[in-house]
Amino acid sequence: MAEHGTHDMHEQHEHEHMTIPKYLLIFGILFIGTIVTYLVALTDLEWIFPGANTLVALAIAFFKMTCVMLFFMHVYWSPKLVKLSAIASFFWLAIMFAYTMQDYLTRGTGVFGQ
Amino acid sequence: MQTQEAIRPSITDKPRQNYLTNGYTIKSWLLTKDHKRIAIMYLISVSAFFMMGGLYAAAIRLELLTPASDLLESGTYNKVFTQHGILMIFFFLIPSIPAVLGNFLIPLMIGAKDLALPRINLLSLYIYWIGGGLVLFALMQGGVDTGWTFYAPYSTTFSNTYVMLVGLGIFVNGFSSILTGLNFIVTIHTMRAPGMTWFRLPLFVWAHYATSLVMILGTPVIAITILLLALERAGGIGIFDPAIGGDPILFQHLFWFYSHPAVYIMILPGMGVISELISNFSRKKIFGYEFIAFSSIAIAVFGFLVWGHHMFVSGQSMYAGLVFSFLTMVVAVPSAIKMFNWAATLYKGSISFDTPMLYAIGFLGLFLIGGLTGLFLGAMGLTVHLTDTYFVVAHFHYVMVGGQVIAYLGGIHYWWPKMTGKMYSEFWGKISAMLVFIGFNLTFFPQFILGYIGMPRRYASYPEEMQVLNIFSTAGASVLGVGLVMPLIYLGKSLINGKPAGDNPWMLPGLEWRTQSPPPTENFDVMPVVTWEAYEFGEENGLDLEAARRRDREMASDFQKN
Amino acid sequence: MATHVGEHNDHGHAHAPGLQHQFEDMKQQEESVSIGMWMFLVQEIMFFGGLFTAYLVFRSKYPMAFAVGSNHLDAFWGGLNTLVLIVSSLTMALTVYYAQKGNRNMQVILILLTMFFGAVFLGVKAIEYTDKWNHGTVPITGLNKVVREGHGDSHASKPIEFSIGPKAYAAEAAGGEEHAYVNPRGEFQWNDYDLIEKKVAEQKADPNAYILTTDEKNGYFSYGELDRDKFRDKVRIFYWIYFVMTGLHALHMVVGLGLMTWLGWMAFRNTYSAEYYMPVEMSGLYWHFVDIVWIFLFPLLYLLGRHFIAGGH
Repeated sequence: MAEHGTHDMHEQHEHEHMTIPKYLLIFGILFIGTIVTYLVALTDLEWIFPGANTLVALAIAFFKMTCVMLFFMHVYWSPKLVKLSAIASFFWLAIMFAYTMQDYLTRGTGVFGQ
Repeated sequence: MQTQEAIRPSITDKPRQNYLTNGYTIKSWLLTKDHKRIAIMYLISVSAFFMMGGLYAAAIRLELLTPASDLLESGTYNKVFTQHGILMIFFFLIPSIPAVLGNFLIPLMIGAKDLALPRINLLSLYIYWIGGGLVLFALMQGGVDTGWTFYAPYSTTFSNTYVMLVGLGIFVNGFSSILTGLNFIVTIHTMRAPGMTWFRLPLFVWAHYATSLVMILGTPVIAITILLLALERAGGIGIFDPAIGGDPILFQHLFWFYSHPAVYIMILPGMGVISELISNFSRKKIFGYEFIAFSSIAIAVFGFLVWGHHMFVSGQSMYAGLVFSFLTMVVAVPSAIKMFNWAATLYKGSISFDTPMLYAIGFLGLFLIGGLTGLFLGAMGLTVHLTDTYFVVAHFHYVMVGGQVIAYLGGIHYWWPKMTGKMYSEFWGKISAMLVFIGFNLTFFPQFILGYIGMPRRYASYPEEMQVLNIFSTAGASVLGVGLVMPLIYLGKSLINGKPAGDNPWMLPGLEWRTQSPPPTENFDVMPVVTWEAYEFGEENGLDLEAARRRDREMASDFQKN
Repeated sequence: MATHVGEHNDHGHAHAPGLQHQFEDMKQQEESVSIGMWMFLVQEIMFFGGLFTAYLVFRSKYPMAFAVGSNHLDAFWGGLNTLVLIVSSLTMALTVYYAQKGNRNMQVILILLTMFFGAVFLGVKAIEYTDKWNHGTVPITGLNKVVREGHGDSHASKPIEFSIGPKAYAAEAAGGEEHAYVNPRGEFQWNDYDLIEKKVAEQKADPNAYILTTDEKNGYFSYGELDRDKFRDKVRIFYWIYFVMTGLHALHMVVGLGLMTWLGWMAFRNTYSAEYYMPVEMSGLYWHFVDIVWIFLFPLLYLLGRHFIAGGH
């Protein structure tokens, strides 16, 4: 019927791209990622550089988040605006973190500090 | 051709069904999904809050007539200026143009039947009422005295007033703002009429898009800040308490992360209105359309990078101060670009000094002063002298009142015939515009001087030698007050027996002028297909300058008759 | 546009199920709803972002206090919760999958499963919070069983003494919000100083090494010696951040369960099909967002300092 024509293309995308086996695969990746995070946290990586543990934990968390966003939230097949919104929000978070920390990290330093 | 017919200022002979006549019951208003009705309800609400904030302002200026703290004692004075700030900023300035003019006009300007999410629009109105109701209830119980900035540790530990209740009201109100912004972004992306490309949009729409970005990205941060404040106050935690390792500056960082972009929410819509007014009342295509459009987005983005300029003397690190100061200079650039473009639009335009245009020209001068003084405050050396003095007060009133409020009034007058189908008295409109301009300058210019010679803000008493300037300021405030109350009277009167305005009383090419005044509920009888550029004035469009001049002559003789 | 005679003759085409009047067609509605939901999620990201900023600030100031506090959280429950949420994300994604296929029974089953796992999550959080209540590590005065029942030990915090202000204000608390001054130290109970004492000793042995941050060197010490009360204050800040972040997250979870109840009911009534399934997709976006927040909360709150326990330096 004609009225279905305009939106068929939209959800057929997801019909074809994400199937149950693929959902289970992503789930498996997330599951393993959690276990890895836990085990790595127990081993001391500070000898590489201070803060290595945190960096690895965050990297794994970012990877898991990306999997959820791209495949569970279908961002991979979403219009560009949705992709841009997702990236932009992290950019804004980064602004908030960076500009706040630039105050805390430079207090009492340099020419003007004690 | 559609353009030809639409330009004529046709007076409709027989009353047609429009959004105001489509249902007369209270229920049809309170449960409406029509963006125009929601806009009118917002109009009434924000006007009420404006009047309340104005009463507090009157109390402040009356107290400051004399050097001693005689009319109000200090504790009460603290409450008065705090409540003036809260009502004006959160309940008037932030919603004013977006919720009233934006809600009404954006669907009309893009050729849509309604906003994308009308029920969300209605929800945002309800949330506004609930937030406002909570704050009003708190004010009646005794109010709050922390300053609208709620700095810790006073607000968290020492203040004995209704901080949490007012905080809750502002928290709730923030969601009204977020939902409006969300709705505008979706609408502008998905509801444009065929042929209405991004670069054919009126600059009013671009300005609201930029404002909506700020609303969505910034408002949640004030929400979380208020939540932390309330929890700290209720639970005695100490996250902002240096005695146990907390940091009051963290509160300021989180607070100003929103509140600085908030001031861009409080100017960008005004700039959008001014773009419309300047272009349309010069009957000339706006100069540098893309520059103005992109500078709106640039202001929205850069506005998030400068919040530390409110904290130069509060204890943040000097290096952070340098970075914020530099970025403050940078963020002034897009605003300056707009000013140049507006001025260039006026050049060789066919200017008619109707009431809205008087407001627009007033904006140009007042925003210029406000913006420049902002740069003075952004320079780290000078700011040490000027922080927390009346210089700051004068600066932000120039940009917020001289900017947004003047633009809001200009917009209300400009689109009044479209919203109500009636014309107001041009004579009284002009008088009130001039009173506002004169009164405003008399009120706030002396405050620059007062600030420079050292009068601190938020003080109920001051040294004797500053009294003369304070008297000028209060005198100006009375003139300003008269000028601001007058529109209530003559606009109200126009509803009763104003001259019926035609569909296009100003004879302009905008899409909103190509439908009835007042518009029908579904906005257009036939959904438009856009084939023309924005602000397309020209003989070939059927826009008859002679007819426009004839109308001007008629208006001039009307003026003399009155 | 097809020109059927539908219920709304004025537009000349029948409306697809669920099409709202302001939209021309379903595609426009889907696009609008999707952008709208993502804008809402952007807003939610910034909402949690404020708390992450507070976390970032305090962790960079007092890393040892945070590590010590974190080690006393039970990573088993935290990890279990993470896995539970990931499973619920899977069931949610599959709900959307079956909604598109119009399979009512699978939708309802999967929604119920999602709700089940959500409830398990909240149950585990309740276990954790009760544990804190029992051990006196809730940073709010009056919300600790240990102190309430008078079992506070001799390590209970000394109150902060102010020379001006709060006591006087508390005394004249007439009007206002019943605001008696609350001592910010509260009755937080804490006994584990092993790790910090070890680190302090290391720092003293080598004053130039980067063991403690500048803020820690100022913040944990009185008269050159480790002050247990001051250290405990910083651990208390960690617990406060823990409660606010996980509490806000749990609140979002509760809202999510409410959303699922509504969705389940609508799915039961066979509302969703290939033509109209956006509400399911949008609810799914919300649920996945709540999952993502936890994916970050887990390592940042629970796994901070485990490498110290595991025999690291």
